[in-house]
Amino acid sequence: MKDERQEGRADGMEEGGKIPKPDTMAMDAQLGEADTWADKLRTLVRQNKMAAVSAVVIVLMILVAVFAPWVAPYDHLAQSLTERLQDPSAAHWLGTDELGRDVFSRIIFGARISLTIGLVPTLISMAIGTVLGLCAGFYGGKTDFIIMRLADVMLAFPSLLLAMVVMYTMGGGLINIFIALSLVNWAGTARIVRSHTLSLKEKEFVEAARSIGVKKWTIMFRHILPNCLPSLIVLFTLNIPSAILSEASLSFLGIGAQPPSASWGLMVVRGKKYLFSEPWLSIAPSVAIMIVVLAFNFLGDGLRDVLDPYLKEQ
Amino acid sequence: MLSKILKRIAISIPVLVGVVLAIFIMLRIVPGDPVTTMMGEHVNPAVIEKISREMGLDQPLIVQFFRYVANALRGDFGTSYRLNRNVTQIILDAFPNTVKLSLLAAAVAWVIGIVAGIVAAIQQNKLLDRLFMGSALLGVSMPVFMTALVLQYVFAFKLKWFPVSGFDSLKAMILPAIALGWNSAGSIARMTRSNLVEVMQNDFIRTARAKGLREQGVIVGHALKNAMLPVVTMMALQLSSMLSGAVLTESVFGVPGIGRLAVNGIETRDMPLLQGTVVFTTILIILGNLIADLLYNVLDPRIREDG
Amino acid sequence: MKKQLSLALATAMALGLVLSGCGGGSKTSGNGGEESTVAAGGDGTEAAAAGDSGSGVDTTGFMIDVLNADIQTADVQKTSKDYTMPQNIFDRLLDIEVDDAGVSKIVPSLAEDWEISGDGLEYTFHLRQGVKFQNGNDFTAEDVVYTFHRLLTVENGVNTELLDQVKGASEVIEGSADTLEGVEMVDDYTVKITLKEPFAAFLSCLTAPGLSIYDSEATEAAGDQFGMDPAVTVGTGPFRFASWTFNDQLVLVRNEDYWRGAPELPGVVIKVIPDTETQTMMFESGELDLLDLDFVADAADRFLETYPEQIVQGPRVGITYFTMNFNIEPFQDVKVRQAMQMAIDRQAILDALYGGRGQVENGIYPYGLIGFNEGQTKISYDPEGAKALLAEAGYGDGFTMELAADASASDTVTMALEIIKEQLAAVGINAEIKNYDESTWLETRKSGELGSFMSTWTADFNDPENFIYTFFGNEEKTKIRSINYPDTAVMARVSGARGIVNEDERLAEYQALEEKLIHEDAAWVPMYSRMHLWAVSKRVQGFKPVWSGVSDRSYYGISLSE
Repeated sequence: MKDERQEGRADGMEEGGKIPKPDTMAMDAQLGEADTWADKLRTLVRQNKMAAVSAVVIVLMILVAVFAPWVAPYDHLAQSLTERLQDPSAAHWLGTDELGRDVFSRIIFGARISLTIGLVPTLISMAIGTVLGLCAGFYGGKTDFIIMRLADVMLAFPSLLLAMVVMYTMGGGLINIFIALSLVNWAGTARIVRSHTLSLKEKEFVEAARSIGVKKWTIMFRHILPNCLPSLIVLFTLNIPSAILSEASLSFLGIGAQPPSASWGLMVVRGKKYLFSEPWLSIAPSVAIMIVVLAFNFLGDGLRDVLDPYLKEQ
Repeated sequence: MLSKILKRIAISIPVLVGVVLAIFIMLRIVPGDPVTTMMGEHVNPAVIEKISREMGLDQPLIVQFFRYVANALRGDFGTSYRLNRNVTQIILDAFPNTVKLSLLAAAVAWVIGIVAGIVAAIQQNKLLDRLFMGSALLGVSMPVFMTALVLQYVFAFKLKWFPVSGFDSLKAMILPAIALGWNSAGSIARMTRSNLVEVMQNDFIRTARAKGLREQGVIVGHALKNAMLPVVTMMALQLSSMLSGAVLTESVFGVPGIGRLAVNGIETRDMPLLQGTVVFTTILIILGNLIADLLYNVLDPRIREDG
Repeated sequence: MKKQLSLALATAMALGLVLSGCGGGSKTSGNGGEESTVAAGGDGTEAAAAGDSGSGVDTTGFMIDVLNADIQTADVQKTSKDYTMPQNIFDRLLDIEVDDAGVSKIVPSLAEDWEISGDGLEYTFHLRQGVKFQNGNDFTAEDVVYTFHRLLTVENGVNTELLDQVKGASEVIEGSADTLEGVEMVDDYTVKITLKEPFAAFLSCLTAPGLSIYDSEATEAAGDQFGMDPAVTVGTGPFRFASWTFNDQLVLVRNEDYWRGAPELPGVVIKVIPDTETQTMMFESGELDLLDLDFVADAADRFLETYPEQIVQGPRVGITYFTMNFNIEPFQDVKVRQAMQMAIDRQAILDALYGGRGQVENGIYPYGLIGFNEGQTKISYDPEGAKALLAEAGYGDGFTMELAADASASDTVTMALEIIKEQLAAVGINAEIKNYDESTWLETRKSGELGSFMSTWTADFNDPENFIYTFFGNEEKTKIRSINYPDTAVMARVSGARGIVNEDERLAEYQALEEKLIHEDAAWVPMYSRMHLWAVSKRVQGFKPVWSGVSDRSYYGISLSE
């Protein structure tokens, strides 16, 4: 949440005169895309080992989440009251929790929930932000003014407080977390897409498309959007970890994920109660969160270097 | 210049109104009757009805909204359901603590962030770069409440360097400030680093180097000055994330600040308190942004020319 | 560069301060508010010193206690949850005393003795003479009359039900009468209370914190600041309310003129710390003298091991119960309800979540309450029997039901629901946990439509009436608990039992009703009652939990050795 906000705002802040000028990128997109992407990927792996490793970690995590039932040694919901709060052992690699459930299995299943919380609201909010940003930049005038003032309003809220208000209104639960985090995050995207659109719509290929009578929506989505993609991809990777952390914060405040589901955030919060006697209960899910958040951050930084040198300016 | 400033201020006003309206609407669509919740178990239905009437909850929403705005303009955010006290007063009592916490945390964030950023930029892609950026990013990658708890456990509970809780001396404020500031340090470090890296490739730096200035001198004297400009604007943005983080840090360390009030508001479903806290915090952020914008204009000659 | 940065930041903050300062000042300058915190604002790091000197309290040598949420008010007529302050600032007409054998009896407090008329309707109280409020005013009958009238009429009042058996109470609540007919001042030290109908538990009722006695003059003068502004919140109790910094701390100072004799403690600082791990660390670092282990239930085992000498415990006179809504399919069927009683392994839950500290309950009245029946029928854990009963009832394949979780309840309650879900699954019942926020949960429950839930009812006063009447007193009462018990004849008996004047007969009737409701009709699943554990620092002597085992504490009788 935080990162996205900063990127988004910093970009908006530059409206004054430092609008990025992605001529070359526009050209790239017009020429063969496939080559460019492959090249960029190679550059990424060559230049930034950390980003490459992070990408591998993320892919692994996603695989684990998808195949959780096959990967996990135990049913993550199966209780055993006689085996509660056990130390890590050969049978239970990370011990058992307060209801005798296998912590390792819960972390594996927790990856499902936490990654979903990272992905879904980020996708929704960025989709909203992209559409609004495109409209604002492309139509300009009143549309622009209204959308951007709306974005200003959203950006004025401290993100966590806004999410808290939404959760207060709608109550806890996964779906509501999705809604809260989606609402919180669209404005930053809208700003970035708008500023790209503003500069792109003056470009020759857009002018050309317009002169031969291509429909506005087609121009927006077929010609302008693809040129925003690199920035959006970078933003996407940087937004995911903040969504995951926000969920943890909401869980800490008792308005996040609800038991018996096993989001990492909720596991940390519930495990925290045993910090003194069974520290791994909170440390294990914390480390899981840290790995994913760091991985997405490193990958995002790396991607920014190769995909979007203009974002880097901030 | 002046007209630009006025324009900025003018733009902030509809944002402010929008923010109040947004919060107002969000909080009104809450399912359930606020009075029932607020009164808890032992209560007489006649009393509930009487209180709803007195609080104006039986009025149409639009009337409630204008009444709220009119009162807010006079600095009155209403009366807390649960605490039965003026929300403005409650917020003002808590505000100094949050200010102290945020200022200290900002100092921590800037020291850690800028130092890490500079070192990382000089040692680009070397071990020190990774080390400093890694430790700066560590703060961003843990849930804030866990960072706070771990710091508290290690430095207050085990090493006994600081008191476990409280906010009544500079010593007691250090851990909360680190917990909160560390979280922002990562972003600042990242930005400082990438700005420095970029600026150092500019012509005038090359010129300075050619003139024979020593590397350190070049960086401190020239590059940093130019690289810091965008970082200045980040200050206002950090205010927003800091106030978010304060909600958690204050809870862990028992700091009686604004963040706690928001949590109180949620936990006791005290709508006026939550509403007042969010509106107040948001005003702070809008003000902070406004000031940062203006400052940016003042500091950056390029923009002045363009504008 | 740095200078500019900090300058800018400072400007931003200062501007905020000034703007908000103007707004706030104009409104609140009239009514005092919280001086201590306001004073702390300008003084930078001297906050604490300013806070203490602002309230004029030197807190050296005070006991340090902790709460995990600040109180709403010290005015007990406006709160039904924060009784610690009232417990210590005020006195009641009567008190409850529990002897070493665990037998509790009603003892005099502000009322020295009393008579009850033969028909059980008229109570005459002779008040203690020479008792002074902390502001120097004499305590007289007028204060009792004033306090009881205020309870029914005060804005935001919540404890009116404590007096609803008094003649004329409903008229005063509704506003059709100005004076409370049933409470008369006979002379300066005699009060006569008349009831609508006989109500055997009335004396017990008078021991409830909600009926703390206020000073008519000071309370009236304080207006809505009573309970909010420490300076005007006075009672006759052992401690004086000295200062309150919201979300930070409350300070109580010894009442040197207390009529039972001044307390040994010079005072108490009650810190407000929401995070339970922080509380634990504070206690172990010597920053706390008293820790309520109910809030750090998970740490209890470790505490018992590490500080065995420093644990104080007492039974919580409260029953944890699990409901089955008679209006929800298939709980109309007594066989299904009995199967539920047999399917839940209560001992396992008590062992797992509370280290077995407490006892499995089989009725309505928990251990420690008058009317608790040691010899009643036991419910045994019997999943096979439960399955058989379900099959008989035509639910051999099980059914789906809701477990309604209240988000504001403690983690252990949620954990218990998770365990119950698994235990029910073992007999083929598919229980789904549904999470409600506090507001929706409460409202749904009051509408009578909530699914099964688990909760604990702790005694307000020591009488079975406080339990059985609350849940099964009449159609309305059983509906707002989302039980919807349908047998009106039984409920009429519950209501009628309140008026039985002969104590033995009354208790026998209550026990018969308990047998009927729980064992014949299986109206709920009695779960357990628990021990309430506290950790005290080495220097604390003489700490005793309140008789009912609630978290609100009384500091009278505690001393610090040093």
